[in-house]
Amino acid sequence: MSSRNNEAVSSNDKMILSNKDKPLSVRLYKYRWMYLMYLPVFIVLLIFEYIPMVGIVIGFCNYTPFTTKPEFIGLKNFQVLFGSELFWRSFKNTLIISSVNIVLSLTTCVGLALLIDEIKTVWFRKIVQSIIYIPHFISWVVVASIFTMILSPTSGLINGFIEKLGGDSIYFLADEKWWRPMLWIIERWKGIGWGTIVYMAALTGVDQEMHEAATIDGANRWQRVMYITVPAISPTILVVFIMDLAKVLNIFEPVWVLQNAAVLSVSDVIGTYVYRIGITNAQYGMSTAAGLFRSVISVVLVTLANRASRKIRGEGILS
Amino acid sequence: MNDKFSFKKGHRGRAIFLICNYMFLIALMICMTIPLLKVMVDSIDPTTYGIRLFPKKVDFSAYKHILSRSSLYRPLWISVYSTIVATVVGLLLTTLAGYVIIQREMPGHKLIVNSIMLTMLFSGGMIPTYLTIKTLGLMNNVMTCILPVCLSSYNIILMKSFFEGIPGTLYEAAELDGATPVGIFARIVLPLSKPALASIGLFIAVGMWNNYMNFVLYITDANKKNFQVKVRELILNDGLSGSSIDISEDMLKNAMVVIVVMPFLIIYPFLQKYFVKGVTIGAVKG
Repeated sequence: MSSRNNEAVSSNDKMILSNKDKPLSVRLYKYRWMYLMYLPVFIVLLIFEYIPMVGIVIGFCNYTPFTTKPEFIGLKNFQVLFGSELFWRSFKNTLIISSVNIVLSLTTCVGLALLIDEIKTVWFRKIVQSIIYIPHFISWVVVASIFTMILSPTSGLINGFIEKLGGDSIYFLADEKWWRPMLWIIERWKGIGWGTIVYMAALTGVDQEMHEAATIDGANRWQRVMYITVPAISPTILVVFIMDLAKVLNIFEPVWVLQNAAVLSVSDVIGTYVYRIGITNAQYGMSTAAGLFRSVISVVLVTLANRASRKIRGEGILS
Repeated sequence: MNDKFSFKKGHRGRAIFLICNYMFLIALMICMTIPLLKVMVDSIDPTTYGIRLFPKKVDFSAYKHILSRSSLYRPLWISVYSTIVATVVGLLLTTLAGYVIIQREMPGHKLIVNSIMLTMLFSGGMIPTYLTIKTLGLMNNVMTCILPVCLSSYNIILMKSFFEGIPGTLYEAAELDGATPVGIFARIVLPLSKPALASIGLFIAVGMWNNYMNFVLYITDANKKNFQVKVRELILNDGLSGSSIDISEDMLKNAMVVIVVMPFLIIYPFLQKYFVKGVTIGAVKG
């Protein structure tokens, strides 16, 4: 009731009092609907984000489905983890797989965007863009299914060609030599088109007058692309690169759906390692510790990335 | 500018480049479509598997079989159902969150914004989330798979930046007319945000339709698995045709992939601009 009175008072004094000077109860009352509107969002975040964040204490406990009462063991899980060869193998694989992914994605997407930008025939450009975006929307499970069939050693399209040309069929996805290149290729098939969108948007902002001036000064097209277009989109390239870098350890689903026991030594990444020891082997404590290690590195990388972005374009990635 | 296409001196290099560029892009489009085309052809062609990109015979028995078998029919329904629910609930939650975080003068505004940002930076990880769901008794509940897809902090930021583009005078005018915040939200904010709703809704829908991990982690009841999980299971286990029928295994696998991909391919040509818009809003503002 008192807040209702306060509101009446404050509306009389509206000219004098700005919103910030009103008593808290008045402001709370004024926004009462907003809190109600936020409630469902908060509940979902609570269940799926905040409670699990508290749950990372499991990483410092000895906890499996058979332990009746989780016991605090400090950093022991981490000690075991850092002494484990399998963990470091997954760490190394993550770095190799992701860094090649990042480099390939950056070069192919920028290159492709520049090539599409040279096309001035509108309908052709539209068709190209429409078609190359499609694979992005196909789930990794289905992509893996499609490529498992295409790369199949007995009935696949690729091995069909190889055999026709007189070669021996290769079991691409179960061969340690071939697995990573295949992942990189499939990743490109899925992502190359979609990745160009940000660059295409940046390319529309390139100053045409600069191009004209350079032409008058006798610059050829190649020079104009290298000295005008590329520098103009380089902030975008840098931001995409930084954001990719921040997610370098997060790779999981593509690897998980394409992985099999025969290629575990080259394909096991931190994400799949966490899944295997956590869900399959139910070593909850250890698995949480491994996941936490990854999250902490990611947070550091994201923070650094945000700072770098703020320096480069005066605005952080996280607004 | 030497944009003219001609083989005369001075334009020749440009012309050759353009021809190569067109050829390269055509080749790229072919590479992008071959895997999909191959799957479609193999799903309707009963002749033995091999190198071909056009069907020799057309036979839809694999599709009939899938749509008549209840063990495949049910996952398909779960996928459809969860996609519809996720889109509606997701848009509701995203717009609510976006609307609340543009109230800069609301007490606790900073706390709410930061608590949403926190989820972007840090997450408890797979096992703590899994154990939370388990402890709360939310396992084997389709809603458990749907809700995480509904609420992404990225979408909230997108929505927020769209709302911020709505002129503030509109809010003030409505407030003077005595509209409640809920009224303003429903009658002014939402109708003005149709393009953003379309983009974000489509992303949520595709994300849910394609979701796989949530159903693997949180669903153990075979009756509640979605189509993606089923596709994966059957393709890995070769247990599709059973003993009673004589449709080839490969045809069935391919037909399942086509069924999963088809809804998207049908809506895509009409809604492509909304998909692209979602990214560019994000690229500029996100």
